[in-house]
Amino acid sequence: METKQYPQPPDWQRDFPYRQEEARLVTRREFSRMLCLISAAMVTGSGYVAIRSFWKGKSEPAGRFPVCGVSELPAGGTRSFLLPGSNTPYILIHLENGQFKAYEQKCTHLSCAVFYKAGTGKIECPCHNGWFDANTGEVVQGPPPRPLPALEVVVESGQVYVNGPA
Amino acid sequence: MSNFRRAQDQAHPNKVSTLTLAIIVVQILLITLQIWLLYSGLNNTLEHNQDVAIPALIASFFLFLACCGLLYFLPGRKR
Ligand code: FES
Repeated sequence: METKQYPQPPDWQRDFPYRQEEARLVTRREFSRMLCLISAAMVTGSGYVAIRSFWKGKSEPAGRFPVCGVSELPAGGTRSFLLPGSNTPYILIHLENGQFKAYEQKCTHLSCAVFYKAGTGKIECPCHNGWFDANTGEVVQGPPPRPLPALEVVVESGQVYVNGPA
Repeated sequence: MSNFRRAQDQAHPNKVSTLTLAIIVVQILLITLQIWLLYSGLNNTLEHNQDVAIPALIASFFLFLACCGLLYFLPGRKR
């Protein structure tokens, strides 16, 4: 059986040279310059974050919004709702201790929808097993880096209201 | 006049290789720091904590300058 003769080493061998002198032909200079570009991109990203932290693009809904009647939501129950003029999903939770809590229904990790796990007092994010305290919104366990943003809840004459985030 | 640049360009290939590698490793370290700064700046901003974003931007900028400054020490092309 005849083995095939290459006129020069095959491509993969030239891409991964065995001897160091040959490795020198791979231009690490360009790689180094590319790292500087990445570094510049990081500065741009930080700049964007800095600008956004002081300049709020669109305003968030302000004021008081009715969600549902107290009797419509049994203890341990939840209800999703939207505020007019915003696409952020919220979740209203009737805790077993009788309190009402409202949080953004968006995990602070990668924005999956979160759910209240009845009876445990915890909010679960099924995507990467993240857990939040249903009382405070604080992270209990898992990858989420920030607590869930909460809305203020007001219960008045048998009706549950939330105050807009603005 | 002899300077760092000249002396380095006359260095042995092995030494050139080590230097290049060292510079790239340091650059990667600097970029790692920048990623961390970007991440903490972003998280603090989303938490309505505005004090972090600006210092993070400034620090990130100086790391970028350092990253570019390192290019000066990069050994020359193969002659
Ligand atoms: S998106 Fe919720 S834990 Fe990752």
